[in-house]
Amino acid sequence: MIRLQLFGLATAAALLVCSGAAHATGDKANGRTLVYTCNGCHGVPGTDNAYPQYPVPKIAGQNEQYLINALHGYKTGDRTHPTMVAQAQSLSDQEIQDIAAYLSSIASK
Amino acid sequence: MKRALTLLSFGMAFALVATPLLAGGDSANGKTKAAACFACHGADGNAVDPQYPRLAGQYYGYIQQVLHEYKDGRRNNPIMKGFTATLSDQDIEDIAAYYSSLPTKLDTLKGHVQGD
Repeated sequence: MIRLQLFGLATAAALLVCSGAAHATGDKANGRTLVYTCNGCHGVPGTDNAYPQYPVPKIAGQNEQYLINALHGYKTGDRTHPTMVAQAQSLSDQEIQDIAAYLSSIASK
Repeated sequence: MKRALTLLSFGMAFALVATPLLAGGDSANGKTKAAACFACHGADGNAVDPQYPRLAGQYYGYIQQVLHEYKDGRRNNPIMKGFTATLSDQDIEDIAAYYSSLPTKLDTLKGHVQGD
Protein backbone atom coordinates (compact mmCIF):
# COMPACT_ATOMS: atom_id res chain seq x y z
CA MET A 1 0.00 0.00 0.00
CA ILE A 2 2.73 2.42 0.97
CA ARG A 3 4.61 1.36 -2.13
CA LEU A 4 1.61 2.24 -4.28
CA GLN A 5 1.37 5.67 -2.66
CA LEU A 6 5.07 6.27 -3.16
CA PHE A 7 4.73 5.28 -6.81
CA GLY A 8 1.82 7.72 -7.21
CA LEU A 9 3.81 10.49 -5.58
CA ALA A 10 6.81 9.82 -7.78
CA THR A 11 4.62 9.86 -10.90
CA ALA A 12 3.00 13.12 -9.85
CA ALA A 13 6.39 14.67 -9.17
CA ALA A 14 7.71 13.51 -12.54
CA LEU A 15 4.65 14.97 -14.32
CA LEU A 16 5.09 18.25 -12.50
CA VAL A 17 8.73 18.48 -13.52
CA CYS A 18 7.89 17.67 -17.15
CA SER A 19 5.01 20.12 -17.47
CA GLY A 20 7.04 22.78 -15.69
CA ALA A 21 9.80 22.37 -18.22
CA ALA A 22 7.36 22.49 -21.15
CA HIS A 23 6.01 25.84 -19.99
CA ALA A 24 9.19 27.56 -18.94
CA THR A 25 11.57 27.13 -21.84
CA GLY A 26 10.73 30.33 -23.71
CA ASP A 27 13.49 32.95 -23.58
CA LYS A 28 11.75 36.32 -23.15
CA ALA A 29 14.82 38.39 -24.02
CA ASN A 30 15.26 36.56 -27.31
CA GLY A 31 11.50 36.85 -27.90
CA ARG A 32 11.74 40.61 -27.55
CA THR A 33 14.40 40.65 -30.27
CA LEU A 34 12.41 38.36 -32.55
CA VAL A 35 9.14 40.34 -32.45
CA TYR A 36 10.84 43.24 -34.19
CA THR A 37 9.63 41.66 -37.44
CA CYS A 38 6.02 41.50 -36.21
CA ASN A 39 5.96 45.21 -35.44
CA GLY A 40 5.34 46.27 -39.04
CA CYS A 41 1.77 44.95 -38.92
CA HIS A 42 1.05 44.23 -35.24
CA GLY A 43 2.58 47.48 -33.98
CA VAL A 44 0.24 49.90 -35.70
CA PRO A 45 -2.84 50.67 -33.60
CA GLY A 46 -6.07 49.82 -35.38
CA THR A 47 -4.33 48.70 -38.54
CA ASP A 48 -5.70 46.67 -41.40
CA ASN A 49 -2.93 44.99 -43.34
CA ALA A 50 -2.69 46.51 -46.82
CA TYR A 51 -2.38 43.22 -48.70
CA PRO A 52 -4.09 40.90 -48.34
CA GLN A 53 -6.75 43.04 -46.70
CA TYR A 54 -7.05 41.66 -43.19
CA PRO A 55 -7.80 43.03 -39.70
CA VAL A 56 -4.60 42.53 -37.70
CA PRO A 57 -5.08 41.45 -34.05
CA LYS A 58 -3.47 42.79 -30.90
CA ILE A 59 -0.93 40.19 -29.77
CA ALA A 60 0.92 41.82 -26.87
CA GLY A 61 -0.40 40.28 -23.65
CA GLN A 62 -2.01 37.32 -25.39
CA ASN A 63 -1.86 33.94 -23.62
CA GLU A 64 1.31 31.90 -24.05
CA GLN A 65 0.08 28.49 -25.16
CA TYR A 66 -2.45 30.06 -27.54
CA LEU A 67 0.34 32.00 -29.26
CA ILE A 68 2.40 28.82 -29.57
CA ASN A 69 -0.58 26.93 -31.03
CA ALA A 70 -1.43 29.75 -33.43
CA LEU A 71 2.12 30.01 -34.79
CA HIS A 72 2.35 26.23 -35.20
CA GLY A 73 -1.05 26.39 -36.94
CA TYR A 74 0.40 28.78 -39.52
CA LYS A 75 3.53 26.66 -39.84
CA THR A 76 1.58 23.46 -40.54
CA GLY A 77 -1.10 25.09 -42.71
CA ASP A 78 -4.11 24.78 -40.37
CA ARG A 79 -4.13 28.57 -40.52
CA THR A 80 -3.74 30.00 -43.99
CA HIS A 81 -2.98 33.73 -43.87
CA PRO A 82 -0.11 33.91 -46.43
CA THR A 83 2.03 36.50 -44.62
CA MET A 84 1.75 34.66 -41.32
CA VAL A 85 2.43 31.28 -42.95
CA ALA A 86 5.66 32.68 -44.38
CA GLN A 87 6.66 34.23 -41.06
CA ALA A 88 5.91 31.10 -39.03
CA GLN A 89 7.78 28.84 -41.44
CA SER A 90 10.91 30.89 -40.84
CA LEU A 91 10.69 30.28 -37.08
CA SER A 92 12.07 27.29 -35.17
CA ASP A 93 10.00 25.69 -32.39
CA GLN A 94 12.32 27.31 -29.87
CA GLU A 95 11.86 30.75 -31.43
CA ILE A 96 8.08 30.30 -31.32
CA GLN A 97 8.35 29.53 -27.59
CA ASP A 98 10.56 32.58 -27.07
CA ILE A 99 8.07 34.87 -28.83
CA ALA A 100 5.14 33.43 -26.87
CA ALA A 101 7.02 33.77 -23.58
CA TYR A 102 7.78 37.43 -24.27
CA LEU A 103 4.36 38.49 -25.63
CA SER A 104 2.43 36.77 -22.83
CA SER A 105 4.67 38.40 -20.22
CA ILE A 106 3.72 41.95 -21.22
CA ALA A 107 -0.03 41.74 -20.50
CA SER A 108 -1.10 45.01 -18.94
CA LYS A 109 -2.33 44.67 -15.39
CA MET B 1 -34.18 68.40 -58.27
CA LYS B 2 -35.94 65.10 -58.63
CA ARG B 3 -32.63 63.58 -59.57
CA ALA B 4 -30.96 65.04 -56.50
CA LEU B 5 -33.66 63.51 -54.32
CA THR B 6 -33.17 60.13 -55.98
CA LEU B 7 -29.45 60.34 -55.39
CA LEU B 8 -30.03 61.40 -51.83
CA SER B 9 -32.32 58.44 -51.19
CA PHE B 10 -29.72 56.11 -52.67
CA GLY B 11 -27.17 57.65 -50.36
CA MET B 12 -29.39 57.21 -47.33
CA ALA B 13 -30.15 53.61 -48.24
CA PHE B 14 -26.45 52.93 -48.65
CA ALA B 15 -25.69 54.54 -45.31
CA LEU B 16 -28.29 52.35 -43.62
CA VAL B 17 -26.82 49.23 -45.17
CA ALA B 18 -23.21 50.19 -44.55
CA THR B 19 -23.56 51.21 -40.91
CA PRO B 20 -23.86 47.66 -39.49
CA LEU B 21 -20.49 46.79 -41.04
CA LEU B 22 -18.85 49.49 -38.98
CA ALA B 23 -20.69 49.45 -35.68
CA GLY B 24 -23.78 47.26 -35.97
CA GLY B 25 -22.98 44.90 -33.14
CA ASP B 26 -25.08 45.16 -30.01
CA SER B 27 -22.83 44.35 -27.05
CA ALA B 28 -25.74 43.73 -24.63
CA ASN B 29 -27.17 41.10 -26.99
CA GLY B 30 -23.63 39.90 -27.55
CA LYS B 31 -23.14 39.17 -23.85
CA THR B 32 -26.22 36.92 -23.89
CA LYS B 33 -25.16 35.17 -27.08
CA ALA B 34 -21.59 34.72 -25.82
CA ALA B 35 -22.66 32.63 -22.80
CA ALA B 36 -21.34 29.49 -24.49
CA CYS B 37 -17.91 31.12 -24.87
CA PHE B 38 -17.46 31.88 -21.16
CA ALA B 39 -16.26 28.43 -20.06
CA CYS B 40 -13.05 28.76 -22.08
CA HIS B 41 -12.71 32.48 -22.83
CA GLY B 42 -14.04 33.83 -19.53
CA ALA B 43 -17.07 36.09 -18.98
CA ASP B 44 -14.61 38.98 -18.74
CA GLY B 45 -12.86 37.82 -21.94
CA ASN B 46 -9.63 36.87 -20.18
CA ALA B 47 -9.18 33.14 -20.55
CA VAL B 48 -7.58 31.57 -17.49
CA ASP B 49 -6.24 28.52 -19.34
CA PRO B 50 -3.34 29.86 -21.44
CA GLN B 51 -4.21 27.62 -24.40
CA TYR B 52 -7.25 29.83 -25.08
CA PRO B 53 -6.89 33.43 -26.28
CA ARG B 54 -7.88 36.53 -24.40
CA LEU B 55 -10.74 38.23 -26.26
CA ALA B 56 -11.32 41.24 -24.01
CA GLY B 57 -10.47 44.40 -25.93
CA GLN B 58 -9.43 42.55 -29.08
CA TYR B 59 -10.41 44.48 -32.23
CA TYR B 60 -14.08 44.35 -33.25
CA GLY B 61 -13.14 43.68 -36.89
CA TYR B 62 -10.66 40.92 -36.05
CA ILE B 63 -13.10 39.00 -33.82
CA GLN B 64 -15.71 39.10 -36.59
CA GLN B 65 -13.13 37.99 -39.15
CA VAL B 66 -12.00 34.91 -37.23
CA LEU B 67 -15.52 33.84 -36.24
CA HIS B 68 -16.38 33.80 -39.94
CA GLU B 69 -13.18 31.89 -40.69
CA TYR B 70 -13.94 29.25 -38.06
CA LYS B 71 -17.52 28.99 -39.34
CA ASP B 72 -16.62 28.42 -42.99
CA GLY B 73 -13.53 26.32 -42.24
CA ARG B 74 -10.84 28.71 -43.51
CA ARG B 75 -9.37 28.46 -40.03
CA ASN B 76 -9.35 24.82 -39.09
CA ASN B 77 -10.45 24.19 -35.50
CA PRO B 78 -13.07 21.52 -34.71
CA ILE B 79 -14.17 23.07 -31.40
CA MET B 80 -14.63 26.57 -32.78
CA LYS B 81 -16.28 25.22 -35.92
CA GLY B 82 -18.91 23.61 -33.71
CA PHE B 83 -19.56 26.78 -31.76
CA THR B 84 -19.71 29.07 -34.79
CA ALA B 85 -21.83 26.80 -37.00
CA THR B 86 -25.12 28.16 -35.67
CA LEU B 87 -24.12 31.84 -35.48
CA SER B 88 -25.73 34.33 -37.88
CA ASP B 89 -23.84 37.37 -39.19
CA GLN B 90 -25.76 39.45 -36.66
CA ASP B 91 -24.77 37.08 -33.81
CA ILE B 92 -21.13 37.39 -34.85
CA GLU B 93 -21.34 41.20 -34.88
CA ASP B 94 -22.99 41.24 -31.45
CA ILE B 95 -20.47 38.86 -29.87
CA ALA B 96 -17.59 40.83 -31.41
CA ALA B 97 -19.11 44.06 -30.07
CA TYR B 98 -19.33 42.55 -26.59
CA TYR B 99 -15.80 41.18 -26.30
CA SER B 100 -14.15 44.15 -28.01
CA SER B 101 -15.83 46.51 -25.52
CA LEU B 102 -14.37 44.86 -22.39
CA PRO B 103 -11.38 46.21 -20.37
CA THR B 104 -8.27 44.75 -21.97
CA LYS B 105 -4.86 43.34 -21.09
CA LEU B 106 -3.98 43.24 -24.79
CA ASP B 107 -1.98 45.80 -26.70
CA THR B 108 -0.33 46.34 -30.07
CA LEU B 109 3.44 45.89 -30.25
CA LYS B 110 3.98 49.64 -30.25
CA GLY B 111 6.47 50.33 -27.44
CA HIS B 112 7.21 46.64 -26.88
CA VAL B 113 9.96 45.96 -29.42
CA GLN B 114 13.73 46.33 -29.32
CA GLY B 115 14.70 49.97 -29.72
CA ASP B 116 11.35 51.39 -28.64
